[in-house]
Amino acid sequence: MAERAILYDATRCTACRGCQVACKQWNENDEFIPTEENGVKSANWGSYENPPDLSPTTWLKMEFREVAPDGKVRWLFTRRSCMHCTEAGCVKVCPSGALYHHELGFVAYDKDICTGCGYCIEACPFNVPRSDRNLITGIAKMDKCTFCTTFGLDRIAEGWEPACVKTCPPKALQYGERDALLTEGKKRVETLIAQGWTNANLYGERELNGLHVMYVLDDQPAVYGLPVAPRISPATIVWQDVIQPLGWALGGLTILGLGLNYLVARANIIKEKEKEDATRS
Amino acid sequence: MPQEVERYRKSTRILHWIHAGAFILLFLTGLVLFIPQLGILAQDSWTRVIHRIAAAIFIIAPLIYIPMNWKSTKEGIKLAFSWGADDIGWFKAAPVYYFLGDEKAMPPQGHMNTGQKMWWFMVIVFGIIFVFTGLVMWFAKTTAPPAVLQWMVFLHDIAFIVTGCMLFVHIFLGVFHPLMTEAWNSMAKGKISADYAKSHYGKWYEETAKGKEVKK
Repeated sequence: MAERAILYDATRCTACRGCQVACKQWNENDEFIPTEENGVKSANWGSYENPPDLSPTTWLKMEFREVAPDGKVRWLFTRRSCMHCTEAGCVKVCPSGALYHHELGFVAYDKDICTGCGYCIEACPFNVPRSDRNLITGIAKMDKCTFCTTFGLDRIAEGWEPACVKTCPPKALQYGERDALLTEGKKRVETLIAQGWTNANLYGERELNGLHVMYVLDDQPAVYGLPVAPRISPATIVWQDVIQPLGWALGGLTILGLGLNYLVARANIIKEKEKEDATRS
Repeated sequence: MPQEVERYRKSTRILHWIHAGAFILLFLTGLVLFIPQLGILAQDSWTRVIHRIAAAIFIIAPLIYIPMNWKSTKEGIKLAFSWGADDIGWFKAAPVYYFLGDEKAMPPQGHMNTGQKMWWFMVIVFGIIFVFTGLVMWFAKTTAPPAVLQWMVFLHDIAFIVTGCMLFVHIFLGVFHPLMTEAWNSMAKGKISADYAKSHYGKWYEETAKGKEVKK
């Protein structure tokens, strides 16, 4: 099946945060409003950004940045959520198969079978997965954007677009076939360049073999707080592609060797005994 | 009259079995993470809770044993790090001995033969690696940088593979190998026959055990 994706056009985004709200509403991620009773104080930390970070109940968050190249202040917005990589670190390390690639290309998640190991949190080049963790027992469950494919809340299976895309007023978010969105994004970048945004680029075409959330940017990715060359860390690659297969081979050979040893040693000792008995009689 | 010599004291045997039990629990609850089909068993973190309980036993048991048995601890550690010509001799003679039962080329062994010493050495070294990397992953999971945690899991996995394989070898030699007829007794009851001691641990018998035989 043709892969699907989301295209986020940062130059069209007004940071209304409708996508954040729609994401929470659809996925039933209610985060309580701080009150005196629950003892959580809200504080002004110098930004319209809210909440301060992704969390198990915040799968999508708009980030605000103020940059001043050439002394002219610009207010930039970045959509922060799972990028749904093709070469996904989280899928690579997930020991239970709770994280897997959906047939349409993005990274889906079966929360029921999550063991809470947290390997995905460490392996993600975009620092996206979150979990609440009991530091003594280690009990945890990961959460992240599921591209609206959470079981029982699956919009994609219904043929609908993700909740964030559905709600976006300035159409900064689009959902569709990845190839079509690539063409669309490139066209938009060309337009931006023609308008004088010479650093304009499309982020996510080739990163990690292609992201399923792509960004149209009018400046370098780093300016928008995106990793310039995201990659799966060498520790993860060596661990998963070398050490683990080696471990299985070593374990298998050990058991085989011991089985062989048992058979040979027993046969020989019986033979020795027979020889002894024969010489004695 | 058959005679016996003491091989492992009671406190050492208790430590061995508590540690072995904890390690097997740790091994199995860790193994679950390597077989995606068994991921269902690890659902909702409960194997990881058992892993932590077993880890606490694995750490605390030797910490209780060591101050109470300081002398044998020192001897034990010294033994793990003393290697000599007899060990090379063991390696040369081992294949013929373990497969064909021919002990002519085998040099007399100390309290532990070279193979046992190797395992004992690994228990110390990888035990420390396990505990260190494990504690970091347990208590610094939310504070340590992701790169550090990735290398911790990496080292934990290498220790798991090496000691896991050696665990099979250890159980096999202790329980199933046709020549190791009294290995089980030595750790279960603490005593072995003088004959077994002479043939399997000649050097140890001559130096330490000789003259301390008791009647069965």
